[in-house]
Amino acid sequence: MTRRTVLRLIPAAVAARLSGVARARPLASGKRLVLVTIGGIRRQESFSTQGAVNIPHLMNDLLPQSVFYPYTANEGVTSHFNTISSVLTGSWEHVDDWGSQKPTRPTLFHYLQTQQHTRPNDTWVVTSNKQLTANISPGVNVILSKQLLVEAVERIIQGQTHRRQLERDQILEEMRSVIDTDYERIGWGVPSASSFQDPEVKQTFITAISNFIHGPDAPTSGDELTFLVGREVLDRLAPSMLMMNFSDVEVAHSGSYSLHVGGIRRSDLLCHRLWEFIQSRPELKATTTLVIMNEFGRDPDGSSTNGFFNHRTNTECCRMAWSMVLGPAVRKPQVVENTIRQVDMAPTIGSWMGIECEKSEGRPLPELSS
Amino acid sequence: MDPGVYKELLSRVPRTFVPSLNEQFRRWDYLFPTAQRTLKAQLDWLAALSAPEFQKLFTPLLEIESRMELPKWQPQSVGIGMQDAGMLARSPHYGVWRAEVAKVFTQVDEATAGLNPFARIPRLVVCSLPPGLPIKSELWPDLAPRGKWLALAELPLKWERSMVAVLAHRRLPAGMEEVEGTWIVECAPRFSPAAGPGAVAISWDALAPARRVFLSRLNAIQRDLKSADQTAEDLGKMDLAGLLGPGLGDRPRVREFIRKLLLSGNGSLVFDNSFTEWGAAEALLEAKPQMLVAGFGIRPKLKPFSSTVLFEDQHRNNPTPDEDDPAGSLIDGQMLSQYVYYSSERDACYQDHALTLFMCADVPRLLVLGPKELVAGLNALLGPIASGDLTNFLLKWLES
Repeated sequence: MTRRTVLRLIPAAVAARLSGVARARPLASGKRLVLVTIGGIRRQESFSTQGAVNIPHLMNDLLPQSVFYPYTANEGVTSHFNTISSVLTGSWEHVDDWGSQKPTRPTLFHYLQTQQHTRPNDTWVVTSNKQLTANISPGVNVILSKQLLVEAVERIIQGQTHRRQLERDQILEEMRSVIDTDYERIGWGVPSASSFQDPEVKQTFITAISNFIHGPDAPTSGDELTFLVGREVLDRLAPSMLMMNFSDVEVAHSGSYSLHVGGIRRSDLLCHRLWEFIQSRPELKATTTLVIMNEFGRDPDGSSTNGFFNHRTNTECCRMAWSMVLGPAVRKPQVVENTIRQVDMAPTIGSWMGIECEKSEGRPLPELSS
Repeated sequence: MDPGVYKELLSRVPRTFVPSLNEQFRRWDYLFPTAQRTLKAQLDWLAALSAPEFQKLFTPLLEIESRMELPKWQPQSVGIGMQDAGMLARSPHYGVWRAEVAKVFTQVDEATAGLNPFARIPRLVVCSLPPGLPIKSELWPDLAPRGKWLALAELPLKWERSMVAVLAHRRLPAGMEEVEGTWIVECAPRFSPAAGPGAVAISWDALAPARRVFLSRLNAIQRDLKSADQTAEDLGKMDLAGLLGPGLGDRPRVREFIRKLLLSGNGSLVFDNSFTEWGAAEALLEAKPQMLVAGFGIRPKLKPFSSTVLFEDQHRNNPTPDEDDPAGSLIDGQMLSQYVYYSSERDACYQDHALTLFMCADVPRLLVLGPKELVAGLNALLGPIASGDLTNFLLKWLES
């Protein structure tokens, strides 16, 4: 049995525990959105002749079914929190990069909550990126999955707990302790009436994490954990909107090109698995649009900012991202060659979901259903 | 250097320049000779500009600054912290500001380039990959079209250290200080022992005690920028000499260079090959040595659990045994050595004046990039090149 097959068994393992938890109430339209953002990936390592080898699933399995925008400009701040804030608000945000400020305009989550009167367990964020704190949108369930693991490991290494070794059971116990006592401090956001506060749901996360940690190959990837938790939320709670963020590619900041490329390949695989999962559930298949966006590229080789390490140059290599839309919002699969902007996605998808992003500066994308 | 001489000039330059210039003044004794010469030449040139010339140079930048929300800097503010940098970077005008700063510096650099006495001396950059990499295809395919592959009579493993030893003991150009002569930045001490006491030899392995202290302090940072700035300030003042030992700790400029390297991110505390690339790039930028050797290595595989915490010593509290990652190291080493070359190419001192050698310790070939006539000269050496011939050629070139 491989680790992969073990991970695939997890939903069954936790299903019983979740049986008593209220599923999210679908929108009147029945429509759901899963938005995946991926940290910086350059075109040369992805949608290009030499980069295609790193994204076989996005290129060969998903692109032909999608509306694909190969030229999606990030005209804002090419940092994570600002970019994701801009995608969610449909306007260029210029707030603190470290997640200590809220976006200045309403997000898609907020519009859903106010215009469709969604309940607390209808809107979820599951993220590998610790900057994506609860500030991303008040009232949303924000689960910093990787940060939970990081926190537990740090506590053990730094001697802040009686647990002394990075062994599976000790880490699991430490993660359980963080969930019980400290989840807000590490940036998780939980609305007051959220299902997360239900002990049953909390146990669900612990069970999912337990299965992850006890897989045959102990994890090195935060994104796999994020995928697992996100999929669990999708399967058992079926929220109106789930945002997931993959950030294994960000190891590039530490200069390992091989690990960065490994992160791209993992993102490619996890996006495909997510799509396959949605397609395997009839209720989700009919109602769920999946939007996949890379946040930006990275700096060009030879730049004074050390190339792939960073993402702060005002270059096409850094600013030109891509987006892919799959599912019922797609009128007809196609590649749209003209340049769109990241802020165009929120009003377009919002319109498809029956909400108006009234403060967005984005323009609707005619290739998608409204 | 008396900063007071430039007080009037500092009151006229764009606000965003002042904290950085004050930082340079504060660190004056730690600047390498070339940086001192360059800064002084630039400031003197700016101070001598007529009012209209000065206005023409800076007006566009001052205009952009007037539209930006800037940190609350005072005339005596020193350095740009993470909070300040974040504020600049998220400004809607950051992109144009950055482009305009680059434009200003291009003009200043062009105007003062002729004042550098070592601007046109011959230079050498050597990038060496370690033995034991699983090489299955052509190395450095992106760079190969720009250079020439040459056959070697023997594997570099057998002679690369002695070549570096000979070259490191060469005669330096008249007036050049020892610290501008030979630099070695590497993962393990492959070349350092051969270089002699005059060279600056920095290896990731030898810095282990200092790295451990930095890691433990950085890991204790609270989750806010104030704490990060405070930790950086504390580490900036910490006594490093004892941790670095003789040869590094007792040379103030080198000691402070290492401190800055370990504090600057870019993986310098996390991966040995990143340390080598970033260290080499920074050395090229700040010290501009006549000869630089970047020695890459084989990094360990990431360990489960502790690898999720990047600023961590993978050995601590982790029962998983160490294991090398030669395949990953090959990918990293190729890309990062390429980046060392790009760094040199961005600097006028190296453009058209440097030979760059790319080699792998157990591959009997050498990729050479540089001025056409020099590459042709090397190529003219008949048959597979003997190590002695190569060394003599390079020695003659560097001493010419």
